[in-house]
Amino acid sequence: MLKTTVVVIGGGVTGVGILRDLSMRGIKAILVERDDLGYWTSSRFHGLLHSGGRYAVKDKEAARECIEENTILRRIGRHCVEATESIFVRAPEDSEEYEQEWVKSCKECGISAIPITMDEAFRLEPNLSRKIVSAYRCPGAAVDGFRLLWQTVASAQRYGGQFRTYTEVIGIEVENGLVCGVKVRDRWTGQEENIACDFVISAAGSFAGEVAHMAGLTVNVKPSKGTLIAFNHRLCQRVIHRLHKSSDADIFVPHGSITILGTSSIDSAPDDTSTETAEVEAMLKIGQVTFEDIYDYRILRVFAGTRPLYSADPNAKGRNASRGFVTLDHAHDGIKHFMSVCGGKFTTYRLMAEKVVDIVAGQLGVNEKCRTAEEDLVPDPTPELMGRAKRLFPSYGAELAASRLGNEKLERVLERMEKSPEEKELVCECENVTLAEVEEIASEPTSHTVSDIRRRTRLGMGTCQGTFCAYRSVGAVDRKGVPWAKDTVELFKEFLETRWKGIRPVLWGNMLRDTELTRAIYDAALNLTGVEEIK
Amino acid sequence: MRHVIDPDKCTACTICLTVCPVTAATRKFRGPKMTGPALTRLRKLVSDDDPMLDYCSNCKNCDMACPSGVPISTLNMLAKNEYYKKHPRKSKADDMLAHSEKMGKLITSLPLGATFANLGAAIGKSIGMLGSMGIAEKQELPKYASESFLSKFKKIKQTHGKRKVVFFSGCFINYNQPNVGVDLVKVYQHNGIEVATDERFVCCGSPMVSGGYIDDARKNAEKNVKLLKQWVDKGYDIITACTSCGLMLKQEYQELFDFAQMSDYAAHMYDSIEYLERLYEMGELKTDFKALNKKYIYHAPCHLKVQSIGRPTMEILPLVPSVNIEEADAGCCGISGSYGYKADKYEVAMKVGSKLFNRIKKSGAEKVVCECGTCRMQIKHGTGVEAIHPLTVLRKAYGL
Repeated sequence: MLKTTVVVIGGGVTGVGILRDLSMRGIKAILVERDDLGYWTSSRFHGLLHSGGRYAVKDKEAARECIEENTILRRIGRHCVEATESIFVRAPEDSEEYEQEWVKSCKECGISAIPITMDEAFRLEPNLSRKIVSAYRCPGAAVDGFRLLWQTVASAQRYGGQFRTYTEVIGIEVENGLVCGVKVRDRWTGQEENIACDFVISAAGSFAGEVAHMAGLTVNVKPSKGTLIAFNHRLCQRVIHRLHKSSDADIFVPHGSITILGTSSIDSAPDDTSTETAEVEAMLKIGQVTFEDIYDYRILRVFAGTRPLYSADPNAKGRNASRGFVTLDHAHDGIKHFMSVCGGKFTTYRLMAEKVVDIVAGQLGVNEKCRTAEEDLVPDPTPELMGRAKRLFPSYGAELAASRLGNEKLERVLERMEKSPEEKELVCECENVTLAEVEEIASEPTSHTVSDIRRRTRLGMGTCQGTFCAYRSVGAVDRKGVPWAKDTVELFKEFLETRWKGIRPVLWGNMLRDTELTRAIYDAALNLTGVEEIK
Repeated sequence: MRHVIDPDKCTACTICLTVCPVTAATRKFRGPKMTGPALTRLRKLVSDDDPMLDYCSNCKNCDMACPSGVPISTLNMLAKNEYYKKHPRKSKADDMLAHSEKMGKLITSLPLGATFANLGAAIGKSIGMLGSMGIAEKQELPKYASESFLSKFKKIKQTHGKRKVVFFSGCFINYNQPNVGVDLVKVYQHNGIEVATDERFVCCGSPMVSGGYIDDARKNAEKNVKLLKQWVDKGYDIITACTSCGLMLKQEYQELFDFAQMSDYAAHMYDSIEYLERLYEMGELKTDFKALNKKYIYHAPCHLKVQSIGRPTMEILPLVPSVNIEEADAGCCGISGSYGYKADKYEVAMKVGSKLFNRIKKSGAEKVVCECGTCRMQIKHGTGVEAIHPLTVLRKAYGL
């Protein structure tokens, strides 16, 4: 039987942060995730690394945590963080008193907020609405959720940390009031097995209640759904915040090749990632205050995630709550060495992990101090490696590929390209993903679908939303005979359906034209109509 | 420039790739969709070497094919302009070819300047100097005329006409083939049109744009736009006899720049033959043509096609008795202004033009008719067959 010290349940940002921290302190740990890493909330957000400005007025502690963690992550996570900076802009309808209070609060929290003239603001961000009345530069940044997760896990792996995706926890084993293991099932093979351990940390986010339920406990998580709109290109080069009391649809984040606008807030089920057209319409209307030409910009797709908000139960014991997140030590509910972590922010994931692991290490009698702020998530590629990459990759491909692959995989991809130059060809022309990368990621044991490759490479996440790369990538994995690529029709369906899901609520203009093109290609070439066969 | 660098209209349908003559000629160019809208998104994200930008010849066949109205080639040209702000030029010829007006001015202002310049080019070629400058040694460089069009124009006595036009001659007609300009004045005068010129006009900027010197083109555009607007306000129509100048003034300025008044004059701009076609439709074109007994083949320049004005020459020249003219309809000639003069693009340009060259050679036509000066040069170079402007044919047919 597989044995470890700690099992972490949940491969979102909280879970991977805890895995890294445990591993760096020398505590053996395995993370299990029911889906792919970052499948749920940790990729279904703005991609914003907060400066803290958004919280400065309302919650100074959260604001201070944000700016401290922001500073750390811009340093240790520079291969997944794009240090764009941010601009807070006040529209005529926003309160001037709030602006003054905000300036004061930022100062108190140690968040740099530099006032700039509107001429300067429009020079920096030409698409900003000309009605904006004041602007401040802050140290916000963009962060790639998928990349941060995989890089955090890669860092944990260097210290012996393990992880398994598509591994569902189906039972929490307890003996005499003490956790002794978890029962898991491989969702692809159906194989079940036990992992023996001394401690279980549930970092299941919106699903924390369901995990706790397996041990007969109650954790009150009230998921709140937020919808995000992805635009086809970078409308801005910096994060743009509305300078007002935090509200819906008031943040634009330039994220890789796209811009993400968010968000909304609706009570929902933990797995509700649906979006209604009405939500999009409401968000665009608000967004227009920041970017007046918003209706001219092409929407790529919409997506939604749920915030795992913890709803405090006044009778719950053992709450050790920081403002941003909650740790529940279930010893108070009769099960020792079982902890649930709820809430929290992406920006402060490292700090959250530090606090959780401080508690866990204490209970396990481990005295190692946290070092996660001191070490880079992934090492920089050497100039030689980058030089080689620049010679082999098509334009604009090398830097992007290096940051999403990491050094070892980049090296293997380069070897593929050197061995067979046709692997330099692009499978995804919108996001510049080469055949070599697709094949490399497809061969990883964590890949089971084209969507798994997508989350690692951005394949299919650009303008055409899979129209041209779906058949190319399925062809590529089929040609290489990867073990999971036997049912190619299913691969097509899975990939195209996930793309379609994000387009359906915004089916107008070029999204509609593009969808008709996609339909025509797959209907005519592969008889994939989306219509279920009548048997 | 708020709306210009915007790849949003592209649906990635890829039809542009199927019409791009450069992609068909070399795999080094990944095509218009990739270089234009697709990479525009990534250029906002990272900076990188971009060798493909030099391969786009700005022929604009992609723009014509695009069902979504994306100014693909203009996206390429804008990117090229930005690219060369941060990267060294690969060819020393870029600057010279992009600023041909400077050379023209210099040479025609000197006594016997043209003779020496043409001789100099021939010598330069024979001693390999042109090659070292990045100019294709096999290509024939345009020869300079001893007297510019504007100088010749002053000597032409005109009679007043009820229609007034201002002729934007452009650099090639002014410095290299002034007789085409003279042909225009003669043909227009015969039809009761009074032709004005304006010495304040500067190069339209087309070679600057395709060479990646958009900031220089902007300065020229600013000057030209003001002047053109003034002429239109005085009741003049604007005529060009070079399709690239016409395209630039009428359409590309609007894609590239955002000066006031730019769209105000565009409705009054005509290609020289398009204007005559208009007269013909109104029953005002003189058709007192002499029979010419000639067999011609017509090549429609890419920059004419993209203006969506049909094929005026194929409407007008068949009116001349016993003129047998057919349209080549064999794609781009490959020269694209200065593109085919660059040493590293010469082979690509010749490959692009090869279909047209074969078509012309097989046609048995005595001469090729074409509105574009550099197309005419390339056709002569690729086929040995002389190529002339349709105005030259008309002047002869009118017996002027």
